[in-house]
Amino acid sequence: MRRLYGRLMAGAALSALLLAGAAQADTRLKFISWQTDDGGTGEWWQSAIDAFEASHPGVTIEFTKADRSTYADTMTTLFAAGDPPQIVHLASFEFQMFGDSGWLEPLDPWIEKSGIDMTGWAGQKTCQMNGETVCIMMNYFGYIMAYNRKILTEAGLEPPTDWDSYLAVARATTKDLNGDGIMDQFGTGHETRGGAGQYLTEMLNYILDAGAYWTDAEGNVTIDTPEMIEGLTRWKTVIDEKLTPIDMAASEVRKLFADGKMALKLDGPWLYGTTERGIAKDDIVYAAPPFHPPVGGSSNVLAMPADIPEDEKALVWDFITLTMSPEFQRTYATLGGNTPPSPTADVSGVEETIPHFPLLQQTMTEAAEAGVDRIPTGLDLYYNEFSKMIMEETQRMLIQGLAPAEVVKTMQAKAEDLQG
Amino acid sequence: MTHIPTRRRRRIFDLARPSRQHILGYILIAPAVIMVALIILWPLMLALDLSLQRVKIPRLGTARKPFTLDNYEWLFQSTEFWMACWITLKLVIVVSICCLVVGMATALLVNQRFRGRRLARLGMALPWAVPEIIAVVIFAWMFDSSFGLFGWVAVKLGIADHMIPWVSSPAAAFWAVAITMVWKGFPFVSIMVLAGLQSIPSDYYAAAKVDGAGALQRFRWITVPLLMPVLGVTMVLTTLWVFRDFSIIKVLTQGGPLRSTQTLSIMTYDQAFQYQNYGRAAAVGIVTLVICIIASVLMLGRRAKSIY
Repeated sequence: MRRLYGRLMAGAALSALLLAGAAQADTRLKFISWQTDDGGTGEWWQSAIDAFEASHPGVTIEFTKADRSTYADTMTTLFAAGDPPQIVHLASFEFQMFGDSGWLEPLDPWIEKSGIDMTGWAGQKTCQMNGETVCIMMNYFGYIMAYNRKILTEAGLEPPTDWDSYLAVARATTKDLNGDGIMDQFGTGHETRGGAGQYLTEMLNYILDAGAYWTDAEGNVTIDTPEMIEGLTRWKTVIDEKLTPIDMAASEVRKLFADGKMALKLDGPWLYGTTERGIAKDDIVYAAPPFHPPVGGSSNVLAMPADIPEDEKALVWDFITLTMSPEFQRTYATLGGNTPPSPTADVSGVEETIPHFPLLQQTMTEAAEAGVDRIPTGLDLYYNEFSKMIMEETQRMLIQGLAPAEVVKTMQAKAEDLQG
Repeated sequence: MTHIPTRRRRRIFDLARPSRQHILGYILIAPAVIMVALIILWPLMLALDLSLQRVKIPRLGTARKPFTLDNYEWLFQSTEFWMACWITLKLVIVVSICCLVVGMATALLVNQRFRGRRLARLGMALPWAVPEIIAVVIFAWMFDSSFGLFGWVAVKLGIADHMIPWVSSPAAAFWAVAITMVWKGFPFVSIMVLAGLQSIPSDYYAAAKVDGAGALQRFRWITVPLLMPVLGVTMVLTTLWVFRDFSIIKVLTQGGPLRSTQTLSIMTYDQAFQYQNYGRAAAVGIVTLVICIIASVLMLGRRAKSIY
């Protein structure tokens, strides 16, 4: 009897041990992203996951792709169903609704506990909501200009350095090459078909250079200004004169440029990946944008849900800090081809693989110093409605031939209505 | 004494008795009915409940917000809603009529005996078999404002002197959506009408010919009346499809420009997923459902009177 009892006890102890081991081995963190197969960036995420799993035996990260076009829908549904991923990856213009609903964990105590100095972390102020840090900015970028040297040389033109020379180059290089009545080559290129957010970003090139912006630092709407009229007039000129192909998605416009059917392209760091695969790869030159300040902005953030268990929060925070480490901030540039937000990131030698990397850093710094962001202060919670309203009023201006001076008044009134 | 209640109980549960066979029927279909109710009615009840709350993003398991009619008040005062109703109505009328005309014409054609009829029938049904999203992507390329096939053909034929801005002109965008919908929707009408045509006895046509009826008269007085039951159901289904279709508009125009292609389905999506106003989105959805039910009842009632 005693032997049986002893065996039962030993069996129970072994079972408990095995179960505990299995429970640890089963710790799985869900991480949904739209960047899983982005050239460079996807590999960088995977390297961070590998490093995390190596340093946390028994913990795995389930890295799953969700399409960018339906990403916000997917995340909203997961949060609404009470089943969000533990590692929350969001675009910097969409985390606000999750933060406003109280679904994101305030990160200030975690930052303080880890002793991380966030001073100078590019774009981090965007992650502040109601006085709390709800996310960590993973990418802040500045726009650069790329031009097709062959097209400019053939037209006897120099790369533009301001709005006037930009317009002159765009006009001179927009051509119907075979005389069939259809334009084959464009002076510049903007996405005008995608979402409203991207539409606004494209317009912002001209608006910022004209000295205008949607709101001021206090969040007051500042649309009805002479500068904004000038900015809208420039956008109207580019579209009305068909200096850009219209109704095209961003990837299609980039492809046109990469294949040598466009003279100038203002874009973010991601343009390089497309131009490297394009037919006109050898003709493409990267330069400083002719507009000041350059368009810049926060791109994507990492966060964690407020209502997951504490032990999972600790693991997620470990993963976030790993991506913020000097080692991974460096590989964000070397492997991902992105400008790391950390002010102390060692990016020496990156120009060997990405020749224009110093330019990317320069425009990022310039945009950050000018406080440029795509999401206007005071309208961040209504960004989708705001961007759609601006896009529609701009389309109305183009379709109905309205004067920009008239349009800015409508935009101003509607933006103020949104703020309530 | 003790045997009597037992006998009574046995009689009550004797479902084999002819007078109680209907109870057995109800019991047998009950699981299916409950399942259908859960699948259809429960989400509907949730949507109705959501439409009566001021809620941005709902979360399962959280407390219900107070009852309010705010979402419906906003909806009926919103010009956006009435514009979406008008766009939906225009699209339903244009697409349904075009589908009927093209579908009936093709069905009449492939009902004739000619060489390659089988191939023609296959070709007629092809757009229906192509997945909607693939069809829309192809049409999006053909309607491209800078390099699209339709614009190129228009320039080459001298119809236009420049590429047509299909997606950035309100009128052109509406027609781009309508044409895509007709292309995708007419084969269903064709298939249904073809089935209807083959069920009409050839004797009727022979008798009419003997009486001296011409082709048009035979079509007017034999084909159309006998097809009415099929046409009624087909038109109800086509109308409902146009009403609820989302992917064609979403991929082609996203409801723009200037909301010129924003139907009630697109408005529901935008309110929910773009603006995170789930209460308002649910209100649009419920109103759409009511409109669909009314339209179906009216059309089916009309069909019943049309049969002789």
